[in-house]
Formats: sequence, structure tokens, C-alpha cells
Amino acid sequence: MKQEHGMTLIVKTVTRISVWLILLYGCYIIFHGHLTPGGGFGGGVIIALALLNVMLAYGREFTSNWLNIKLLHDVESSSVILFLVVGIFGMALGGAFLYNFLDHGTLFHLISSGTILPLNILIGIKVAMSLFLVVWVLSAVKEEKGDAE
Amino acid sequence: MIVYILCFALILIGLYGVLTKRDLIKIILSLGILGYSVHLLLILIAYRKESLYPILSEGKKVVSMVDPLPQALVLTSIVIELGTTAVLVALAIRLFEKYKTYDITEIRRLHG
Repeated sequence: MKQEHGMTLIVKTVTRISVWLILLYGCYIIFHGHLTPGGGFGGGVIIALALLNVMLAYGREFTSNWLNIKLLHDVESSSVILFLVVGIFGMALGGAFLYNFLDHGTLFHLISSGTILPLNILIGIKVAMSLFLVVWVLSAVKEEKGDAE
Repeated sequence: MIVYILCFALILIGLYGVLTKRDLIKIILSLGILGYSVHLLLILIAYRKESLYPILSEGKKVVSMVDPLPQALVLTSIVIELGTTAVLVALAIRLFEKYKTYDITEIRRLHG
């Protein structure tokens, strides 16, 4: 771990501890989207910010090795397809796009809203991956400048 | 009434920044202030006195709730503003690569 990449040791240590807590909090926000304020977008933004926290603290190179960027891109693209699949399933089973075909469960429980929870998770994955990849791509432009010119 | 006036002042601050600043990053930040103040105005219009967020939860009495429609629309608007900000930042980075400056008066002279 060289010092010239990323920030100081203090920032790196704090990031190493806190990034998992931030990811966990993002997952909590996504999974409780139908019960409390929040949901797919808010939780996805929190997850993306956790990954960006690592990128700011450790530098871009470390993050590119730590995460499989191509896999993240594939996951981001496939989440939209899965959203469409859930919507078309609703069309097939209930007669309308995004029809709630799953069991509704009991009120105020975690499994209580049919297809809203899976859709929230898909939106969260999409938002997290796309927001992280946008900043990742924007930070890539500066490095490729030497090759382009 | 005073909150609407303050919100309008915030909109004017954003507009002032967009119109008068020369630095591209400051212009992007001013656009952010402008957009978020508009969001704040929409949310404030939807607010009703002594009412809660429009989400049912266990043991909560159903009293008067704020209007959820502007909140949903503002959430969409936030997402759109995120996208436009990303595009603006990408354009600013491309301009900096070409002209080596963020000053828009320097960029106006096309060279290279």
C-alpha cells in the first residue's frame, strides 16, 4: 500500500471500517423501502457513496482491482431487464404492466407488499451501480488524456 | 409566507451565479442551487401545517398527511438533475482537456 495513491493512513483506516456499515445501512434502506421513508433510490445512492468513499480514500487503481468493474456494468444492465421481466410477468398473470401478482402478506411485515420489494431491490442495484460507474468513468477521462493526445 | 420568499431568494441566488460567474465549476454549482431551490419550493407548497409524512406505520394514527404527489415528482426531478449534472461535469472535463482552463471567457476564443 503506497502512500502516494489515495489519502493518508487515518482516512484509509476509517474508510476500511465504515464502508461496510454504510453498505449495510444502504441495504437496510432498500429492504425497508415499502415500510419506512426511503426505498430503491435512496438506498442505492447510499451504496454508491460507500463505493465512492473507497475510491476517494484508496485511489482509482485500487478500486478498479478491488471491484470487478465489468461485472458491475453487467449487473447494472441486467437489473433493468429483470425489472421489465417482473413487469411483463404482471401483464401475463394479472392483465396490467407491473401488476402485483405476489402474495400481499400481513401489513407492516417485511414480506408484505408483493412485487414492490423485488422491484425496490432492482432499482437500488441499478442506481448504486450507475451512480458509481458515472463517477468512475468521469475520473477515467483525466488519466487517458496522455494517450489521446 | 416568509419561507416562500426565502425560497425565491435562493432561486435568485442560483440564477445570479449562473449568469455572472465565469468559472465552469461555479456555474454547475449554481445550477445545482437553482434546481434544489425549485425542489424546495415544490415541497413547501405541498406542506400542510401539523401533518406527517404520508406513510403508514405500526401504531400510527391516521391524521392529516402532507400531499405525496409533489414529493414523488420531486424525487423524479432529483434523478433528472443528477443526470444533467453528470453530463455537465463530463462536458466541463472535456473543455478543460481541450483548453486547460475553466474560465468561460478564455474558452470563447477557439484555438487548437
